[in-house]
Amino acid sequence: MTGWHLDQESLRRYSQGVASPVLAASAEAHLVKCAACRDVISSYVDARRVEAIWREVVDRVDAPRRTWPERMLARLGVGEATARLVAATPTLRGPWLLAVAGVLALAAWAAQADERFLQMFLVVAPLGPLAGVAVAFAGGLDPTREIGLAAPYSGLRLLLIRTAAVLAVTVPIVAAAGLALPGSKWLAAAWLLPTAGLICTALALTSRMTPVVAVGVVAGAWVLVTAPATVAGHLGVAFGIGAQFFWLAGAIGGGAWLAVTRNTITIRLGRSA
Amino acid sequence: MTTVSVHGATKSFGRTRALDSVDLDADPGVTGLLGPNGAGKTTLLRMIATVLVPDQGTVSLLGRDPARPADRTGIRRRLGYLPQDAGFHRGFTVFEFVDYVAILKEMTDRRTRHDEVRRVIALTGLESVSAKRIRALSGGMRRRVGLAQALLGDPDLLVLDEPTVGLDPEQRLRFREMISQAGEGRTVVLSSHQTEDITALCGRIAVIHQGRARFVGTPAELTEQAAGRVWTDTQRSPDALTAWRTGDGVYRNVGDPPAGVELIPPTLEDAYLLLMSEPELEVTR
Repeated sequence: MTGWHLDQESLRRYSQGVASPVLAASAEAHLVKCAACRDVISSYVDARRVEAIWREVVDRVDAPRRTWPERMLARLGVGEATARLVAATPTLRGPWLLAVAGVLALAAWAAQADERFLQMFLVVAPLGPLAGVAVAFAGGLDPTREIGLAAPYSGLRLLLIRTAAVLAVTVPIVAAAGLALPGSKWLAAAWLLPTAGLICTALALTSRMTPVVAVGVVAGAWVLVTAPATVAGHLGVAFGIGAQFFWLAGAIGGGAWLAVTRNTITIRLGRSA
Repeated sequence: MTTVSVHGATKSFGRTRALDSVDLDADPGVTGLLGPNGAGKTTLLRMIATVLVPDQGTVSLLGRDPARPADRTGIRRRLGYLPQDAGFHRGFTVFEFVDYVAILKEMTDRRTRHDEVRRVIALTGLESVSAKRIRALSGGMRRRVGLAQALLGDPDLLVLDEPTVGLDPEQRLRFREMISQAGEGRTVVLSSHQTEDITALCGRIAVIHQGRARFVGTPAELTEQAAGRVWTDTQRSPDALTAWRTGDGVYRNVGDPPAGVELIPPTLEDAYLLLMSEPELEVTR
């Protein structure tokens, strides 16, 4: 300890955060060693400011670390709370995504070997994203489902957040598999509007049934209609220009219905909700 | 206003009738549902947690009707729920999990939410494991994490399904203490098949058996049901509905005592066993 101490004016300026950088550095170095000056400065310090700083320090220390998907979403402007909900979506786990990629890779490989499988790829492609939406709400895969059902967070909002997250991940996988197909590149995109139409229809059905059942109904109907037509060589039934407009209308209609009824419908996220 | 009011609640799953015209009221304090496994306790608690809708009957919670979407959201904002099989995301730490549930409870401001998360973690004595992954915790600690998330937002109604199941005696005592504190000034409805927990915690109990409320009243009133029907003997009495050999070698018999036997004061467990042995007996107070 030295005989030199900070004068009143320096202490006041430092405690109020208006000291010059040189004075602030000197004051800090001195205060670490000088109990007398620390006692004096305590009377200048605004308790609320100290509390706010301390809260910030505590928060930085024990706040949850962000996972890389959360950090990526934050860069895209997604709110911190929404990013956390997305990160907890069961479908976004590695093993499930690998399974989807594996099935589609197999379909693409089969299409290379035999042209008939090329058409079947179009039937299978929308099922990946659809299954992703179902799995995002499957009771056995979402460990916090029961707690979530009793929470006030909007069921529709959670449904849309998770669906968007699932689509953002699965659609590029399907698209990549589509690009690997031989022949016309329109095949790589022909499944997109049907997928959008099917997803929006399934979402609209969640006011009547759980997402898993809604996806099951929609996917079942899709396979029953398109598989026989595709096998018979009538690709236009499900993927022609007229059909594309039909799926576009389905997507817009389902989305508009959800938007209009958002405040009055009850989304059935679980079997018993 | 009664916090929880259930009248004539009936629920079936396929051909199985899980609840059959059950009535239950609960006010501030701890109300316990007592009954064997599969009795219908969880079904009733899920209704009180707004997760399940009855096929018949009415449920009113905090003066609102959970069947109406707007009311249901209002109830959920004042509700804490610990399900029987509360699961956790594998990779989450304790803080991260409670924080996740806080988001589902509409706490969107990060700073305020983290303060609340820290508060419930401290309340349940989890500060030292706050940064640990939940998968690394013991069953008792995980149950505490479940209680912590239920306490978020200081709810007016707390629904706890088998909160002490799987805990060792010391953990159960700590849990009882936490639940008892939680029951001060708010309504807690919990289920258990442990009569000791019910005796220690609850001011009011409902015995649920085969989907029906066999008894609703205070623990003392239930115990009174067995007055004059418990006796000790050197052997298992043929008149006893249930009997077991105690540690000191005598048989504790519960049922219709024969003449001349020495009657002893009943416990809540005696009365519960008597009620379970006589399904036709039904008392609602």
